[in-house]
Order: sequence, then structure tokens, then C-alpha cells
Amino acid sequence: MKRSKRSAIDRRQTIDAYVCISPWLIGFLIFTIMPISFTIYYSFTRWTIMEPPVWIGLKNYIFMFTKDPIFWQSLKVTSLYVVMSLPIIIIFGLLLALLLNLKIRGMNLYRTLFYIPAVISGVSVAMLWTWLLQPDVGMVNTLLDLVGIKGPGWFWDPVWALPSVASMSVWKVGGSAVIYLAGLQNIPPQLYEAARIDGAGRRQAFFKITIPLLTPTLFFQLIIQMIECFKVFTEAFVITKGGPLKATYFYLLYFYEEGFQHFNTGYASALILVLVTVIMGMTVFVNYTSKRWVYYAGEDRAS
Amino acid sequence: MSNQRKCHKMQRWQMAIAFALVFLFAVSFAFAAGQQENQAAGAEETVTLEWWTWDSEEYDEASQRAMAKVFEETHPDIKINMILMPVSGFETKMTTALGSGVGGPDVTFFSIANWYPKALPLDDLIERDNFDTSIYYDAFWKTKTQFDGKTIGLPLGVGAQFIMYNKDLFDEAGVAYPEDDWTTADYLEIARKVANPDKKIWGCEILKRPFRAIWFNHGEDVRLYSPDSKVVEGYLNSPGSQQAYEWFYDLMRSGATPSVSDMETLSSENTGPVDLFMAGRLGMATLNQGHMLNAVKEGMNFGVVREPGLEGGERYVNAWSLMVSIWEGSENPDESWEFLKWYVGPEGQKFLMDNANLFPSIGSVAKQYKDADKDYVQGFLKVLEDTNVAIWRGTHPSGSKVESGIKDLWDKIQLNLISRSDIKAELDALVPAAQLTLEEAKKTLGK
Repeated sequence: MKRSKRSAIDRRQTIDAYVCISPWLIGFLIFTIMPISFTIYYSFTRWTIMEPPVWIGLKNYIFMFTKDPIFWQSLKVTSLYVVMSLPIIIIFGLLLALLLNLKIRGMNLYRTLFYIPAVISGVSVAMLWTWLLQPDVGMVNTLLDLVGIKGPGWFWDPVWALPSVASMSVWKVGGSAVIYLAGLQNIPPQLYEAARIDGAGRRQAFFKITIPLLTPTLFFQLIIQMIECFKVFTEAFVITKGGPLKATYFYLLYFYEEGFQHFNTGYASALILVLVTVIMGMTVFVNYTSKRWVYYAGEDRAS
Repeated sequence: MSNQRKCHKMQRWQMAIAFALVFLFAVSFAFAAGQQENQAAGAEETVTLEWWTWDSEEYDEASQRAMAKVFEETHPDIKINMILMPVSGFETKMTTALGSGVGGPDVTFFSIANWYPKALPLDDLIERDNFDTSIYYDAFWKTKTQFDGKTIGLPLGVGAQFIMYNKDLFDEAGVAYPEDDWTTADYLEIARKVANPDKKIWGCEILKRPFRAIWFNHGEDVRLYSPDSKVVEGYLNSPGSQQAYEWFYDLMRSGATPSVSDMETLSSENTGPVDLFMAGRLGMATLNQGHMLNAVKEGMNFGVVREPGLEGGERYVNAWSLMVSIWEGSENPDESWEFLKWYVGPEGQKFLMDNANLFPSIGSVAKQYKDADKDYVQGFLKVLEDTNVAIWRGTHPSGSKVESGIKDLWDKIQLNLISRSDIKAELDALVPAAQLTLEEAKKTLGK
């Protein structure tokens, strides 16, 4: 009797909980689950939006993997971009956060200044970099010229174009540094005091305390920034248009052209699902390796 | 307080919140329903049409709003709700609305061929009102109103590309002005003579892409593929096509153009070389009538001539008009037609000509242009008589996809990565991939 009353209350509370979260649930179903489901369906069709989709089975995927060199080129270029850009964001972000964590006067001002680039629109940043790296009159080549170095063509050179776009990641480290900063400030100062009493130097404290306790933040940054890097688009769309010689023809640019310029929507759906699969695969891999290098406070490694 | 009482109290709060939410929803629905009824009652008197548009060099926002007001004054039973949006946002919104069949406008530009099946056929309305379609320039009537054997829109305004040349720079260099029968070889020679690298003055711009008017001027076989959309071989790599690419190769090495990076950074988005031309840094530039009118305003000393070609060969022009149509899902097709035939008819186009920069697609209206006797206007109207590249482009929607697949050769020439003698081999090598692209594109984009 008591048990059945208890379960009735539980059931009622469960229903109440679902009622309370139903606005979010309905939104999630309509704006997330449905579009994803439709995208999966459309990836097996030939569809130009204006006409009803025609079911073609795996043909989009077969064409993509066996006959479409642009797919492989864009995947290669995007992967290379991730490899070049991710370390810049992760390492420079950490170095900047360490500097911004120092106890000196006017630090809040520095923190604000370094974060400003993160709130500027991507298109404006792209235009700025176009001028900075302009080969003939740009600031970078003008400075190089002063010390007797002839600068490369940057965005207009097939060899330098991708590294140039990747180097723009420096602009994003302010946002990354803020997250690191939060992680750094969560490290208990007593640990450093204890280490100092035990005779540990700064380097030891950094590698034995800071880095291990920062690994959850590093792990978070790695996942988030990797996803962001795979989604690179604006730089190529605004500056290089994918060129020269498709050196910056990123995956999302190809997806955009197929889906929104050629209205090859079925194929574009297949393209985006492959990208989602690649990102998920990479995320799962990083997550799997995290057991070996991410340390959570209170975690008992011995057990 | 026992746990059970706490639990009951919590449930009462939850119930209260739930009731409050239901009450709010009910009030909102009642309000919305009332609004709808009011709108329905008002609809008996006037019809409000949704008109989607954008602003441009030819018709800015103010002139379009003023035009809509004039229409409303002469048609008191129709109100125009003009919604102005940027071109890119417009395209996304249109594609979504037309694809889903919900929320489309009554009247708007059908600027993308993919949308044509969703435009309302106008033949019955034209016949019913005995609307005279012969008022429009024939070339634009043929290329900008017809789809699948039906009339689906009316052409608003005309535009074309031509060469504008800076007379002051020509005089300074002692070079004679180009004439209508000039050739691509003349173009190169003039560009070299006008260029003055020490003063950062260049003879001409770097072309943005192949297979436009100058390319077509190199011969009938200079196309991306055959007229029946079946074969790339013999067209993309035809002798004429090779000659066109070689001409571009010579242009890039003439020393008469800015560098590729200068062109990119010194040209605003979609304006091409207009900034450089207006700054007096380019002897010649491929521009359009909107730029021409701006040059007039700036007091520039310039001339207009059609794009060069081969001696005695047919001449092409990149010319355009914007098709304005009624969405097939419009709930007010009759009122939409009333607006469309006024807006794209003589009254609307004259208004936009007099109050903005529109060159009308109606010959009789164009003759009333305030500077119709000026050389540059005469030159522009003469260019419109050439064969329009749009005739081929409009009937070959897979062209842009095939063209994007062969862009590497363009880059290689620009970046000096191949020699002139490699061009034929490069073109031959592109054929198989272009053929595959064509076959795939035809499945989704049509012939």
C-alpha cells in the first residue's frame, strides 16, 4: 500500500518534470531531431529543393568516395587546416592565459584588450588580414622588406595560402585564453605553496601542478576548437574563394557551393553527414585517449 | 514540515504554474485569432501585397518606396508591403519559401533559374488584359520571361558590361580611343601603351573568369560544351578556346595589369575594377551602366565601347535584365498582376529611370532618358544590340558547375605556373573531368 502510493507520487513527479521541460523537448524535436532526420533522408536522394526528392539509395555516397576528386581535396585541405590551426589555438591560448594570470597592475585592461578580437565579426577579421598579408602593400611584407626579406604571396600563393589562413587562428586565441584562465584560477594556491616549501621550482610547479590540473580544460578546448577548425568557412569564402588552385578549398565551402549555389541539396546533405561522422569519430577518439591524460580532482588513479 | 506535506506544497505550486501557462497560451491564441479576424475584415476593402526586393545602383530603397507609394495612390484598393533585404539573405529566404511552399512573397525577382518552376504562368493574364509585350527589348523578352514554353515574368531594367576607357589617360599616353570593331590584339596593345607602372597606372584589369563575352567572341566553338549539352570535347578544348586562353596568358604577362592580389584587395566585393577605374588608375575596365552613371556624377572624362573580338567575328555582350514574377502560391494573383504590370510596365520603369538609375527594358521609355543624346548612353544602347551571352547561359544551367570545375587552369595562368605552350595540353586534360561534371550536373540542374 505504501509502495504503491510512493510509486504514484514518483510517476506524478516524472510527468510534472516532463511537462516542465516540454517546451525545450518540443523545440529540440522540431529544430534539432527533425532537421537531422531529414538531412539523413535527403542524403539518399537527388533533390534540388524546388522538385520533390528522388530516392537514389547510396549513389551520392558512392560518387563522393569513388568519383569526386573535389571531395577528397576539400577533406584533405580541411584536415591540414585542423592540424596547423589547432596547435596554434591550444598552445598560444595557454601561453596567453598564463600571462593574463600574472598578478600585475592593469591586468583587467589587458584581459579585455586580448579578448576584443574574439567579439569582432569573422568577415571584418578576414578583410583585416587581407590587407595585413597583401603581398605588395601589406604591413607584413612591408616590415619583411625593411629587413631585406622578400615576403611571399600569402593568400595568393598556392603554397602559402593554407598556412596564411591557419595563421589567422592567432586572432582567436583571446577567446581560448579566457577559458584557460578560468581553469588556471580554479587551481588551489595551497598546492603551489606546498610545492614551494618542498623546494619545487617554477618549471616543476608548471609541469607537475598546473598542466595536470588544467587537463580537463585542455580536453574541453581540444574538442571544442577541433570542431570549430573543421567548420572553417568564412576565411576562404571572403578572402580566397577556395583558391589558388583549390589550396584553401575547405569542406564547408564545397558544401555551401553544392547546397546553396548549385542547389544540389541531396549531395550536399551527404557531404555534411560525412563531415559530422568525421568530427564524431575524432571526438570519440580524443575522448577515448582522455582516460590516459586527463586528471580530474578527487579522482583516484590507483583504483 | 513532513516530506509528504512538502511534496504536496510543491505539487500545488507546479499546478499553479501549469494553470498560469495554459491561461497565457489561451489569451495569446484568443488575441491572435482576433487579429486575424480584423485582418480578414480589412481584406474585404484592400489587399496587401508582399513585395520582396533589394536595393542596388539602379534602384535604391527610397526610390522603390516612393514608387510603391505612387502605385498605391493610383490603386487605392491595393497596399504594398515592401520588404527590402540583402541579396544573399533574399536568395536563402526565397529558396526556403519556394521549396517549402509557405511564406513566399506575392511579387519579387525570380533571379535564380532553379526558382522558375515556382513562378505563376502569366500568359492567360497577358491575354485577358491584352497587355502589349512587344514594348520590351526583344533580346530580354526572349531570355528573361520564358520558361518551359510559358511566360513567367516581365523584365525589369537592362544592364550590360562594356569597356569604359579613361580619355585623360589615353590622351596622356597619346593613344587613340578604341572603336567598335577593335580586336583582342588591339586591346592588348592599347593596354600596354596606356600602362605607366611608375605612376601605378595600369592599362586594364585582370578578367575575373572565362566564358563570358570576350571568350564567346573567339568563335562559335568556344563554349564549355556542345549546344545539346552532351559533349565537352571539341568545345572546352577547341582551337578558339585555346586561342582565348592564350590571349589571357599574354594579357597576364603584358605588364599592363595590376597584380592578382592588387586586384583582389583594391576592388570592393562585386564591384570588380570600378574603384581602380574611378581613382584614375586603370586605362580600361569592364564595367556596367550603373558604374557609368556614377562616373558621370564624378565628372570623369570617359568613353564607352563594346568588348573586343576577332576581326569580322560575331560580337557578344554580357547583358542582363531582372525577371520579376508572381509566386505561384500567391493568394492574390489578380492584384499581384496589377502591381507587376504597372511596376515593370512603362509607368514603374519610367519612375525608376527618372528617380533612380534604372535603364528601362522598354525602348520607348529608354528614349526619354534625360541624357539619351550623350555619347556614353548611345554607346551603351548600341552594346545591347550584340548577341547576349545569357542566351547560351540561360539554356545551359549546368554551365556554372562545369566552369567551377575548370578554374584551376585560370589560376595556373594567373600565377604563371604554366607556359603558353602547355595550354592546349591543359585544356585536353580537363575534358574528361568536365564531361563527368556535366553528366552529373545535368541530373540535378537540367540540360
